[in-house]
Amino acid sequence: MSLALQRPGFAARHAATLRQLRFYAWSFGRSPSSMLGLAIVLLFLALAAFGPWIVPYPGDGSGAMNLSNRLKAPSAAHWFGTDEMGNDLFSRVVLATRTSLWVGLTIVGVATLIGVPLGIAAGYFGGWVRMVIMRVTDIFLSVPGLVLALAIVAALGPGILNGVIALSLVWWPGYVRLVEAKALALRSEPFVEAARAVGAGHGRILALHILPNCTSPIIVKASMDMGLAILSAASLGFVGLGAKPPAPEWGAMISVARTYMPNWWWYAVFPGFAIYLTVLGFNLFGDGLRDILDPRSSRG
Amino acid sequence: MTSFTIGRRGALAAGLGAAGLVRAGGAHAFERDGSRKIFVFAGGQPVPVLDPHVRYDWSTRMIQQSVYDALAKYVNDPPQIVPWLAERWETNADQSVWTFHLVGNAKFHNGDPVDAEAVRYSFERGLRLNKGVAWMLKDALPPENIAAVDARTVRFTLTRPMPSFLTFMPLWFIVNPKQVQPNVQNNDYGEAWLTTNAAGSGPFRLRRFEPQSIIHMDAVPDYWKGWPMNDQQRLSGAILRIVREPAARRAMIQRGEVDMITEIPADDFELMRGMRGMRPADNKGMTTFAITMNTTKGPTADINVRKAIAHAFDYEALVQIHNGAATLMDSPFPDAIPGHVAVEGIPRRNLDRARQYLAQSRYPNGGFEIEYVHVQGLEDPRRIGLALLNSLQPLNIKVNIVAQPWPTMVARGAKAETAPDMVSVYVTPVSADPDVIASKYHSRAEGQYWGMHHLRDAQIDQWVDAARVEVDAGKRNALYANIQKRVVELQPEIFGMLANRRWIMRDYVRGFAYCPLRLTGEVDLYPVWVDAG
Amino acid sequence: MRAEVLRFVLKRVALTGLMLFGLVCITFTVSNVAPSDPAALAAGPDATRDMIETIRREYGLDRPLAEQFWRYVTGVLQGDLGRSIVTTRPVAEDLGRFFPATLELVLLSMTLGILVGVPAGMLSAMLKNRAPDHATRFLAVSLVALPAFWFGILLQLLFSVQLEWLPTSGRLEVSTAPPPTFTGMLLLDSLLAGQWATFGDALAHAVLPALVLSFPCLASILRVNRAEMIEVLASDYVTAARAHGVSPFRVVCVHALRNAMLPTLAIIGLRWGWMLGSTVLVETVFDWPGIGLYAVSSAIAGDFKPVMGVTLLIGLNFMIASLVVDLLYGVLDPRLRTAS
Repeated sequence: MSLALQRPGFAARHAATLRQLRFYAWSFGRSPSSMLGLAIVLLFLALAAFGPWIVPYPGDGSGAMNLSNRLKAPSAAHWFGTDEMGNDLFSRVVLATRTSLWVGLTIVGVATLIGVPLGIAAGYFGGWVRMVIMRVTDIFLSVPGLVLALAIVAALGPGILNGVIALSLVWWPGYVRLVEAKALALRSEPFVEAARAVGAGHGRILALHILPNCTSPIIVKASMDMGLAILSAASLGFVGLGAKPPAPEWGAMISVARTYMPNWWWYAVFPGFAIYLTVLGFNLFGDGLRDILDPRSSRG
Repeated sequence: MTSFTIGRRGALAAGLGAAGLVRAGGAHAFERDGSRKIFVFAGGQPVPVLDPHVRYDWSTRMIQQSVYDALAKYVNDPPQIVPWLAERWETNADQSVWTFHLVGNAKFHNGDPVDAEAVRYSFERGLRLNKGVAWMLKDALPPENIAAVDARTVRFTLTRPMPSFLTFMPLWFIVNPKQVQPNVQNNDYGEAWLTTNAAGSGPFRLRRFEPQSIIHMDAVPDYWKGWPMNDQQRLSGAILRIVREPAARRAMIQRGEVDMITEIPADDFELMRGMRGMRPADNKGMTTFAITMNTTKGPTADINVRKAIAHAFDYEALVQIHNGAATLMDSPFPDAIPGHVAVEGIPRRNLDRARQYLAQSRYPNGGFEIEYVHVQGLEDPRRIGLALLNSLQPLNIKVNIVAQPWPTMVARGAKAETAPDMVSVYVTPVSADPDVIASKYHSRAEGQYWGMHHLRDAQIDQWVDAARVEVDAGKRNALYANIQKRVVELQPEIFGMLANRRWIMRDYVRGFAYCPLRLTGEVDLYPVWVDAG
Repeated sequence: MRAEVLRFVLKRVALTGLMLFGLVCITFTVSNVAPSDPAALAAGPDATRDMIETIRREYGLDRPLAEQFWRYVTGVLQGDLGRSIVTTRPVAEDLGRFFPATLELVLLSMTLGILVGVPAGMLSAMLKNRAPDHATRFLAVSLVALPAFWFGILLQLLFSVQLEWLPTSGRLEVSTAPPPTFTGMLLLDSLLAGQWATFGDALAHAVLPALVLSFPCLASILRVNRAEMIEVLASDYVTAARAHGVSPFRVVCVHALRNAMLPTLAIIGLRWGWMLGSTVLVETVFDWPGIGLYAVSSAIAGDFKPVMGVTLLIGLNFMIASLVVDLLYGVLDPRLRTAS
């Protein structure tokens, strides 16, 4: 029996990667705004995960009614006050993080799933494939997503699901643009040429060489888009095309609350502030990621 | 026309520099035009189409009632029909021939006399366009049966007795054919032109018409019928401002930018009613709120389920949502409608009875979900949906609250197969005619938005058909009493409430008179004036 | 050279036409996915079925979808965007009435964005990594994150309701007669007519919505200018200019500002269509009678022709703006000229 060769430990095998990650973490940590972003994002995720267990009135997220307790100002019992149905606003604002997280993830996820393959195909294959894909993309890009989403939701009927469908449908073109440019540049890189020369199939080249090299900008864009997607969904909610009652959703809450301004200011202020913080968090976080992952593009 | 001057906070302060000077609450918060005042009213609903035969809703009617006259007019509470362009009228024994005698001095704004031909033309126009007001008379009055007997006499020969004919007369405004005819395009009876122009004889004439934002009217100084206030008090004009946000309307009346507002959220009303300088008007309305249930499909096809739901519903919540400014219905008919009777045993919340009914149904333990649809953008029905959701929890019935645009809701509701389980429905009676309300439960109602229950009951059909031609008031009312009882028995809907109609005006506004037969926010501007130096 | 430009423009115009057709297809599909009876809306609540039918015939809604599509496309080619079933007026006419209001708002907010964004970006670059730089950068991210509809309401309450410094909503006081119409933009029209009071009134109404609308645009301009300026400050010619004794202030103002022009222009071009679209929320908050409010109220009512019209109008604007930006880039940047 030969001596079993000591397999190198995890750290040793991935030394280079770990060094890279440590460097990322170090430079990310050096920026206070990035850290603030990270903190907000983590708080948001924690609230989304544990919300139902930490809020004082979990039933208020699913349509409890307590009309004798309506529109009460913030107090020890109700930190953010109560709304027009007598529900605890703190509970509803916290419970709505889950809705927002789901909305953001789905929109960005669907947009990536549609946009990235199309972008890679367009950039890598070029020719008429690129022509067709990019023209269709341009059409979608030419209309502000919110207007088109508004039309779609108005047609389908309000509801978070319809809002998410609508926003996903208008969100993907940005990813096509992003990835296409990258893939186009990579196509003629020596290592891709080499892979092709040794007879690698398109699928293999795309999966092993093109896609991994597009990930940084995709991750950066996705994290920035999380915030924007949440904001857009809230905007739909605000014009009355958001979540179906009684589901808690920030935009829809503000939409109802605006008639109660300014005397019942807490009703609109807290959900709005929640949107602001969340979007701010994701933007700062995304900004920080961009500075370390994709420093050349950190403009515009 | 020169632009009028402003005697108050001055838009000029609006210049940014002087901005800090703008302050509310001044005693002279109204607009002035020389020595006369301009009354400013704010509501949230635009007036896209002014044509009196094509569209009506509260804001549109408010302007139509100001620039046009009709043969008669609804005034007061309880509502009365008073002669207007017609000084008197008569009908034959079976009330199928109606003759109206016009006043001699009525003039259109351009000076033309309001004669029988103008009346005949206006009714014919309304019927032939087949829009807006046409439904009221179309099945009894062929356009050729209107005759201008002489310059001051018009005769309507109906195809059936119609005791309710008179109740519609205040809603058919008279246009000047001599002004309309030159503006006819492609046989449209001048519809395109009358959308933004007026050809009437009313107490006001249009000055500026911006359908989405502002409508400015001048009072007609020598209005043919005269003015109810003395001449110095008469307004120079009236303005309807379309301000979509309730919070903005409230800010405006507090700042004195407007003199009167409507469409006020219940909580705002409570807040403002006690404020200095504000006068609330809070009157029992005629608009019924009901939640119709699809009687042909799904769980609600089962009468026991309908009864269970009706007994589980939290009626008090309806009143609470309106801060007490609503009255529960005691019959399918609003109580200002002739023939109304309070029906005994109309459901109120009683969970035991609800459970008993449910036990007799095909779903003794609940366990199903029903869809509750309301018109997108309306707040009260959304809240009522939440109340419904809560009410039905004890029965283990889930509620899916869905908002849809009006056209989608109507398209779905037109057919029994696609009609939602439950729909929130407001019905505002436009006339004092019980037939309109009773017809809601006739098979004919299928396809109308209030017919989304798709109720088919031969007994009700027969009574409704008999009552509409019954000349004897006693017999007619007996039929209507039967109908009301039968409808409550069949429970095609949850009979809800009549919400109060509310306005807030500055305390110097005079002459406002409530009449339940106006539409929700509508105010008759003719008697209104402003009493302040 | 000129032939090249002409060919470029022609190609782009053809492409724009194709894209507009694509847009028509998308919006038409969207507006027909749900069962809806817009005629019921126009007919009013009490209308009988046959009255609704009358209106359906009048608007051609009784025709097969393919025919409706064909009619709409041929109509669009002739500038006819169909009729709004709520206002009964041609959509093109309504857009003509509402678009100037939106245009006014967008132009004003872009001006605000440039006036604040360019200097703030430059300042930030000059003080790179110092406190004011961090503050401005944080502000830029903040402005993007602020929900416009929410912040608009807060500003409205503060300045209009509590302090009463500014009017609540709309474009003019009731008592202010609108200026004679040249452009439909009240600010411009009142200036042209020399009506200063009207101008002041219109400005007081426009300032809050324009401010809220300018935030995202301001943030982009700020970022771009900062990045550009950092690059410029590090460049050889600035070092050279400094070496020749040109004052740093002058270097920044003259050289750097010139350099900042291009990217700012590009942002404006890119943001143009986007801002027209984002007026949807701001106009709703401030009751500003522009195309955004028109689109929202029509969409909520289920009246789709106006929504389609607004979408097309914004799409067209976007395409024209990007064409103009591309051309200007060619004119302003000699490097690009020779490259193409």
